[in-house]
Amino acid sequence: MTANVATAGKKNKFHIEENDLLCKNGCGFYGNPAWQNFCSKCYREVYQPARQAQLQHDALQEAKKLEPADKPGDSKPSFSKFEVKKTQQANKRANTVKSIFRKTPTKDSASSSSPSAPKESRRSSLESQKVGGEFAEFLKTLRKPPALEVSKVVRAFVERIQHNVDIPVDELSEMVQDFYQNLGDKMATQTVFKGLSQEVQDKILDYAERYVLTRLYRCLFCPMTTADEEKDLAVQNRIRGLHWITAQQLDLVINDTDPVIRQELDTAITDIIEMDSKRATQDKLACIVNCSKRIFHILKESKGAPASADEFLPALIFVVLKANPPLLQSNIQYITRFANPSRLMSGEAGYYFTNLCCAVAFIENINAESLSLSVAEYDRYMSGEATPPGSSGEHICEGLRLMQHNLNSLTDLKQRQERVMAEALQLQQDMKDFSQNFNKEIADVLQRTPLTIRPRKVKVDLDAEVSDSCEANLPSPLQPLPCGGVATGTAVSVAMNADTTAPNVVDPSSAPLRDPEGSSPLPPTLPSPLKPQPFTAESSPVITVSDASPTHIDVDIMGEQGMAAERGEEKMDTVEQRSAEKEGHGENQESVMQDAPSGL
Amino acid sequence: MAEAGGRKYNFKVVLLGEGCVGKTSLVLRYVENKFNDKHITTLQASFLNKKLNVGGKRVNLAIWDTAGQERFHALGPIYYRDSNGAILVYDITDEDSFQKVKNWVRELRRMLGQDVTLCIVGNKTDLEKDRHVPVQEAEAYAASVNAKHFHSSAKLNRGIEELFLDLSKGMIEKSDGTMGRGGRTGSNRRNVVVVDDDQQQQAKTGGCCG
Repeated sequence: MTANVATAGKKNKFHIEENDLLCKNGCGFYGNPAWQNFCSKCYREVYQPARQAQLQHDALQEAKKLEPADKPGDSKPSFSKFEVKKTQQANKRANTVKSIFRKTPTKDSASSSSPSAPKESRRSSLESQKVGGEFAEFLKTLRKPPALEVSKVVRAFVERIQHNVDIPVDELSEMVQDFYQNLGDKMATQTVFKGLSQEVQDKILDYAERYVLTRLYRCLFCPMTTADEEKDLAVQNRIRGLHWITAQQLDLVINDTDPVIRQELDTAITDIIEMDSKRATQDKLACIVNCSKRIFHILKESKGAPASADEFLPALIFVVLKANPPLLQSNIQYITRFANPSRLMSGEAGYYFTNLCCAVAFIENINAESLSLSVAEYDRYMSGEATPPGSSGEHICEGLRLMQHNLNSLTDLKQRQERVMAEALQLQQDMKDFSQNFNKEIADVLQRTPLTIRPRKVKVDLDAEVSDSCEANLPSPLQPLPCGGVATGTAVSVAMNADTTAPNVVDPSSAPLRDPEGSSPLPPTLPSPLKPQPFTAESSPVITVSDASPTHIDVDIMGEQGMAAERGEEKMDTVEQRSAEKEGHGENQESVMQDAPSGL
Repeated sequence: MAEAGGRKYNFKVVLLGEGCVGKTSLVLRYVENKFNDKHITTLQASFLNKKLNVGGKRVNLAIWDTAGQERFHALGPIYYRDSNGAILVYDITDEDSFQKVKNWVRELRRMLGQDVTLCIVGNKTDLEKDRHVPVQEAEAYAASVNAKHFHSSAKLNRGIEELFLDLSKGMIEKSDGTMGRGGRTGSNRRNVVVVDDDQQQQAKTGGCCG
């Protein structure tokens, strides 16, 4: 927020006349606001004498104050540090008294008080300015009398505290708390505040707290009169010594290797660290609340159910251990002392703050038992002799984490690569096997049925061949069979013929066409269908070819039809002949059928 | 400060008890009326607010769950500091958890005296057959330390409304009795009293059981 405002402010003033940048003395060098718009040389000339005098004065004052402030029993930080801080506080007090007047929200009061503080004073911090501005803005929305009253009370209080910075912190706390109380009571009882809703009153209280604490942050936060600083260091060292604690030792079930959860965890850690940079207790508490919410989110992700305190507290302890927030004890003390108690008594923020206190208390008192370790183990871990198992992969720096992540993905890639290689080899082998098998199968098939291609011949006499061919397969329908013995004999011989020729023929249906062409001397064994019955096998081929018509060829294989045609043509048949033909025909077909598969 | 019927009570109630006695289930059942983890919408179950209306008095309960593990026992005082009421939960099937309750009671009485309203709750009555803590013993003990005793079952939603209602009544009595004492409590109340009026209206119409 502050950063935003600051940059916005810079943007508004981005274009500055060069003259404005030059030294006020007009020496030609550039000036600097930090040196009251003088250049360094002129500033030294103008202000050095005054500053010297001031320093001497301060030193004198310090010497006077030292005795009462340096009480026995108080912390004993190094003397020089103490002195520096005292000077700061004294300066601040002197300056802020005036600056509060400058910033008074209502004009009346400002005009009445500002004449008394004309002296140039140190600027108050950006935070105070911002909060003061917001407070003023808010008061402007109210009617004038209550706004005036509030600003009066707040101003008086800031002044009072600034006059009493040296009193013990408990009394300061008491004063601040009384201030909240009184302001609240005033708003409840005084007639000036009549008509303000509860909401507005709460807002006033809230703003007042924010403003007062931001303004007085330096004297209220980790004051010199307390031992907070030592405690901070002690806690910090303690946490550093406990770096080896793992989530498992706290019985914490979070999967902190998961990058998403890792991210959330880091955000939670950032939130808790950010607490130190805020001034108002509200803002500090808001950081704690954010951190806690993230932790609950992580727990819900890891467990799948809303987390109870049984899981939350260990998780918070873990986050605090990993974060090691700066000035943790001081911040806790500051909130305890100066926050409006209502916030701490109830409400979510109060609950989380209490848990943080518990976490810190637990960390301070951590021992072997509370981590369920043996004393020997605990001592070894504490002394750094050994690290517990699993802690190496725990909360390591970003680079290492990234490296580990990369290593993991590389291993994964390697495995995948190996798998791909194995599969590729397998595929290669398969392909080889396949081609071998294929070749083998082809060889087998070829062996079983060798293909012989006969040279193609020129057609000579189509009609003649065709008639022949059909006769090759079919016993002639015209074959007269005067005596059963001869006829059956020829039929058998036809069947035998078909048997012997078949293997050489690829397509049995085309065979009759080719056959005659190839083997010009027609097989003597073929009985001619047109043969007049009692002929011998030897004399048959030549005679009857011319009788057959072309249509005959086409149909003859179909059997019945062909036969019907033949019947029509040749009247000389006898009933006996026909029955014999049929017999022969059937036999012949059968044999062809038997051969066909091997041919295919 | 307005002492009329419009006054709102803000109470802090701590939930104490060994791990696994069902503290979380109990409070989730009360606030969300859910038992099974699957349907619960809240992100967390460790800090819950519940508004109710007891005899026309508006009460806001802030229920603080505590870590029940033995290792965190020493942190108890940080949790129950400033609390108005405490619910001490034990598992009726677990004698040990009842002994823990006795420890808590001793501590609470020592640290907070009689200002705190105590309720001792025997949870998991649905497992009555496995009971290891006799009813008479538990009730006699509760009476001896000026605490109320209840039996409940978060699973069956038994005895939970009664428990919180009774606790609230007890706290209201104590609060009315000690009113005016302790200057700072006034401001707390005023500040925390910011309550959504609509919700209050609803709470009124719906009765205390919301």
